[in-house]
Amino acid sequence: MTHLSSYIDHTLLKPTATKAEIIQLCEEAKKFRFFSVCTNSYFTSLAKEHTQNSNVKVCTVVGFPLGAMSTEAKIYETIQALKDGADEIDMVINLGLLKAKDYTGVIRDIASVKNRLPNQVLKVIIETCYLTEDEIITASELTIKAGADFIKTSTGFGPHGATIEHVRLMKSIAKDHAKIKASGGIKDFKTAIEYIKLGVDRIGTSAGITIVTGK
Amino acid sequence: MNISKHIEYTLLTPTTTEREIIDLCYEAIQNDFYSVCINSSYVALASQLLENSPTKVCSVVGFPFGAMSTDAKVFEAKKAIEDGAEEIEMVINLGFLKSKNYVSVLKDISDVKMAIGNTTLKVILEISELNKNEIIKACEICLDANVDFIKTSSGFSKGGATLTATKIIKKTIKDSAKITASGDIEDLETSMKYLEVGVHRIGFNALLNKKAKKARPIS
Repeated sequence: MTHLSSYIDHTLLKPTATKAEIIQLCEEAKKFRFFSVCTNSYFTSLAKEHTQNSNVKVCTVVGFPLGAMSTEAKIYETIQALKDGADEIDMVINLGLLKAKDYTGVIRDIASVKNRLPNQVLKVIIETCYLTEDEIITASELTIKAGADFIKTSTGFGPHGATIEHVRLMKSIAKDHAKIKASGGIKDFKTAIEYIKLGVDRIGTSAGITIVTGK
Repeated sequence: MNISKHIEYTLLTPTTTEREIIDLCYEAIQNDFYSVCINSSYVALASQLLENSPTKVCSVVGFPFGAMSTDAKVFEAKKAIEDGAEEIEMVINLGFLKSKNYVSVLKDISDVKMAIGNTTLKVILEISELNKNEIIKACEICLDANVDFIKTSSGFSKGGATLTATKIIKKTIKDSAKITASGDIEDLETSMKYLEVGVHRIGFNALLNKKAKKARPIS
């Protein structure tokens, strides 16, 4: 198995996060060799600056956490994040369109962002806590159809985060067509390993240090 | 007193469907509410529905965290106006405020203000995350940026408007800007208390309204 730390997107998304906290996040990510730091878009350039000359990638959230902003605004937030140095984009799916079964609209929203990424990774947060099993299946299929690289479970700001059952369901659809990122409420080594055994490729967590050190 | 003209009828839940936006606009017209307040992906739809009514469309921007890049907020605001929004409601950058990086807080607001010209700009402070001094500082920055309204809350944090915080805002800004109190305001009696301390508008959650079936009593 690849080293556990390389599965982790070291995450700080609370709206009150300060500059000092983001710098600390970057320092920790370098020290523990996490895959990336995941931040809101106004901290992308700062995160890039503080992860330079390291293997740590910068991951920016877009349309976060509601996914309800206009597609054009998501595209623009993405373009700006790329300029600021983002290596990966985690966008939130448009849940209203999904609930209304406007699947063309859902795909358009995702594909419009994907088309702006020359070779950066796109993850789509489907926010499983608001979805039925059928909607999770549909959201996963639409995400793959729109060309995204990852299906991600949760923002961490909904009523709950990833569950084993939901990830198993997502994996059954994704197979080898897309990777899975589990996030929200993953706070210890044992839980992280459970998800990895299910075939998850990435874990989004603010408890990365606890997970890899067991402390 | 008829307070319907003070009501911003609000539906910002991420799972909101087209059908629910249509209902929202219809109820707003029926009750003669001042505006509907919605996420930017629904602005074009709401503008079309409210075209021949006095009810305005207010789009939130950088919502609910205020943590998106300034350039992205500017773009989201301009796109919303293009889609028919008559008011823009942006969330202040709380991270900059907490870092005491006041120049960037001001720039974030001013850039949006300059981009939208005469369109009404409201800034959400998210008072549940701020102490008294931070509320005062945030108000002063908003005045420097010439905003039209200060709004207490997004409705997505740990708390909504309080009378205490609203009085602090009023004392700081006096009549230089107006105030919207929002979050957790569920009935006419509470709304009146806010109007009495000098609030100009009330953000009224359409979901709470439905639960309590208060669509008619409020107006």
